Amino acid sequence: MNIIALFVSPLIALIAGMFFLGLSRKISARIQWRYGPPIYQPVIDVIRSFSQKSITHGKFFDFGIILSLSSSFVLILFLPIGKLCALTSGGLIAFLYLMLMGPFGIALSGAAAANPNSSIGISRKFLLALAYEVPLLLVLLTVMTHYHTISLVEIVNIQANSGWAFGSWALILPGIAYLLILPAILGMRPFEVVGAAQEISSGPIAEFGGKHLAFYTLQHALHVFVGIALFVDIFLGGWTFFGLLNPLAGTVWAVIFGIIIFLLKMTLVLFIGLFVNAVYPRFRIEQAMQYLWKWPTLISFVGLIIVVLTK
Amino acid sequence: MSLELLLIIAFSGAFLTYLSGKISSQLRDGVAVLISLGLVAIVSFLYNVQTETVFYQGFFGISLILRMNSLAWFFAIAIVSFTALCIIYSLSYMKDCERSNYYYFMMLLINASMLTIVLAGDLVTFFVAWEIMSWSTFLLISYNRNGALQAGIKYIVLSLIGSMCMLVGILSIYTSFGTVNIADVANHLTPSSVGYKLFLLIIFSITFGIKNAIMPLHTWLPDAYAESPSPFSAVLSGMLTRMGVFGFLLIMYVIVGMKTTLHLGRGFLSFNTILCWLGAITIVIPTFIAMLQNDAKKLLAWHGIGQGGYMIVGIAFGTSLGAAGGIFHTLNHATYIVLLFLSVGAIEYSTNGLRDLNSLGGLFKKMPIAFFGGLLGISGLIGVPLTNGFVSKWLIYKTLILGNAPFLAFAALLGTWGTVLSVYKFLHNLFLGQLPEEHKEIKKAPLTMQIPIVILSFTIILFGILPGLPLKVINSIIVAAGFQALDINIWGVTSETGTLNMLNIFAAIAVFGAIFWGIFKVARKSTPVDQYDNYAAGAAVPKNKYHYTVEYYAPFYRMGKPFLKDIFDMFYNRIAEAIGSICDSVRKIYTGYVGSYVMYIVLFIASLIFVQLTWSIF
Repeated sequence: MNIIALFVSPLIALIAGMFFLGLSRKISARIQWRYGPPIYQPVIDVIRSFSQKSITHGKFFDFGIILSLSSSFVLILFLPIGKLCALTSGGLIAFLYLMLMGPFGIALSGAAAANPNSSIGISRKFLLALAYEVPLLLVLLTVMTHYHTISLVEIVNIQANSGWAFGSWALILPGIAYLLILPAILGMRPFEVVGAAQEISSGPIAEFGGKHLAFYTLQHALHVFVGIALFVDIFLGGWTFFGLLNPLAGTVWAVIFGIIIFLLKMTLVLFIGLFVNAVYPRFRIEQAMQYLWKWPTLISFVGLIIVVLTK
Repeated sequence: MSLELLLIIAFSGAFLTYLSGKISSQLRDGVAVLISLGLVAIVSFLYNVQTETVFYQGFFGISLILRMNSLAWFFAIAIVSFTALCIIYSLSYMKDCERSNYYYFMMLLINASMLTIVLAGDLVTFFVAWEIMSWSTFLLISYNRNGALQAGIKYIVLSLIGSMCMLVGILSIYTSFGTVNIADVANHLTPSSVGYKLFLLIIFSITFGIKNAIMPLHTWLPDAYAESPSPFSAVLSGMLTRMGVFGFLLIMYVIVGMKTTLHLGRGFLSFNTILCWLGAITIVIPTFIAMLQNDAKKLLAWHGIGQGGYMIVGIAFGTSLGAAGGIFHTLNHATYIVLLFLSVGAIEYSTNGLRDLNSLGGLFKKMPIAFFGGLLGISGLIGVPLTNGFVSKWLIYKTLILGNAPFLAFAALLGTWGTVLSVYKFLHNLFLGQLPEEHKEIKKAPLTMQIPIVILSFTIILFGILPGLPLKVINSIIVAAGFQALDINIWGVTSETGTLNMLNIFAAIAVFGAIFWGIFKVARKSTPVDQYDNYAAGAAVPKNKYHYTVEYYAPFYRMGKPFLKDIFDMFYNRIAEAIGSICDSVRKIYTGYVGSYVMYIVLFIASLIFVQLTWSIF
């Protein structure tokens, strides 16, 4: 099972992530009364990018982006996609730390390019990350304390038995907080401060072209996938759907349908994000930080206190 | 090899270095390196040795003892190795400095005194060595004069307060039990009252808290780290400050004993919970203050305080995982902070003393070794997976989360995310971004400065991928202290509630890295370009002005600056000023006129007569 997951889950994540990128362009276009590009447009872009001219600012510029993409793939191995999960070592804590490595690689690469637009973008990225990590850490700690485990797989399995976390009274507040910070995690509007194309010419990726840009797009697709998948795993019960898969338990079909249910849930969550993305303007970085440190933090903090008190 | 001989070599080596410096500086350098490497060799031969020797019988009837066990060995090997690396590094760093004889003498003396501290089997030896260490540290902190003198005085005042507290503790132990032998004291202490144990814990905690810079007692540290010569800053932050951690382990788990320490108090108000919370505060606040610093060494110094908090939280939380994590973090922190100080030192060396984060940049192509040192150093400091910092932090987080302390865990995790911001600023402003024109023709750091950087970088990765190597020794330490043994493998920690296997994380990253590196190579080749050949919206790139460093996190500074002040430092400074003005007014009675002195005498006698006539006391 683990061996299969090792090969299959990166593929699923990559395909789904690219699909989400295409879907989000299409949906945004439709909301704005445009026709929009075909859904497979990002795939075409990536393939074309590989054959295009690019510049490099030295070995380290290349190293950063390779590090970023490979650690994003490693992150996928730690993520339960349906019932597939290749690696469990270290649990959610290791997962949190690995989540850091993708942006860190891009930050190294972008800064090696010696372009102030990149530097400004990276400084914004880290500030935004600090801003949403405060509620995110509180949310994850609440979940880990409530279920008394640090393993992601375990969290999903408990929900299979006792119902989705989002539906339980103890974890509804953290769930709401996660939904509120989800656009910030995904880098969508109103939190699109990092790659603000009109202000700082796409920020960290200002100097990326050709294969560098292709790598970045793949990394971005995985990042979107992970941000949503984590929510589905922790709050929407991963592969579970009200006992629908119980008759199939133990067969290969349970795994396959588990993945499909998982991806459908993810699409639903993405839609919510896209609706917000399509209609909101961009925050300034201070406004984003103040917002994230106000409502989501307050809600998740109350959630943690409730869980600790009722323990 | 007996322990006395080890200390004799350590102390006499220091004097020998000083004397040989009078003959020639090459001879002195050779002797210093030889002595420090010799100590590393001797201590590593003492691995797994459990011994105790009385080295002096008749100190007012107290026998002075040295003893070796796993705790002592762990700290001893760390002390001598890091000092040896810093001595090698100093060979070029201190080459053109005045008073370098004195510098080497002090370095080796501090090394010897730290060794004595960890080997001490009785409290008198411990105290004497502690004092030698404190005073020689003062001399080295103020080595650069000017601002350094001020920093040194701040350090020595706080250090003296600590020493006095310890002296009170030792005297009270001696008067109560008539012995200062650590093992005997631990036995005598078991039946004594809870209040007395608490008194001892608190009074020693002040001493060690000052040394380890726990939050209200940290104020000496930032200036001291920033003003010392860089190799000494490395020793100071790596091992000397962590003598406080050693002290905490000694008082909490050796002298008072684990079972008692963890059950002193009721509910929230127990000794170790309060210590945990002080540790948590120590993690969070300094990390955010570090973000505001513009001096590379000061930034590292604030992180030195913050990382000390992790050790305290781990040790004070009082579980096997926590204690192991705290002790392991001491070693890891030493590795990467020494590395970072040495990298900054290399920049200082090459740019003639620049360490201002706003005026450097783009050095990564000019100083690749120092850059990789800095990169791995900050990765360790953050705790990026595959570096050693990750493993120790993981141990601490896990025990905090599963031990139902989510708020402590939150403080610890938040500290890490704050660390990311400030250390990235450190790396970016020194090494990445645009290279200023005046540093185009920079001189490279010499080999003796590069070797320690390479060794330390390698260690960070090694302990990150195979954490079992040091954890095995740490396991025996925590077992000796009475904790449950951990299930240690060479690649990590196994347990039912969550296994950490660094080797498969490493394998996964290596495989994916290889795949994408391959794809990268196969794809169309990219053209290398100069740093001025980049996007500026169609305009020409202005030289020397196209670098974003000053106020790197400007929005955060605007929000945070009013709140992030070192209030404790201001408070202490106000006390110092008040004492100064009181002493100033007392001084006014010395008028210099004989007449007024006669008046004082007459007044004094008159008051005596008055007292005698009224109450007839005498």
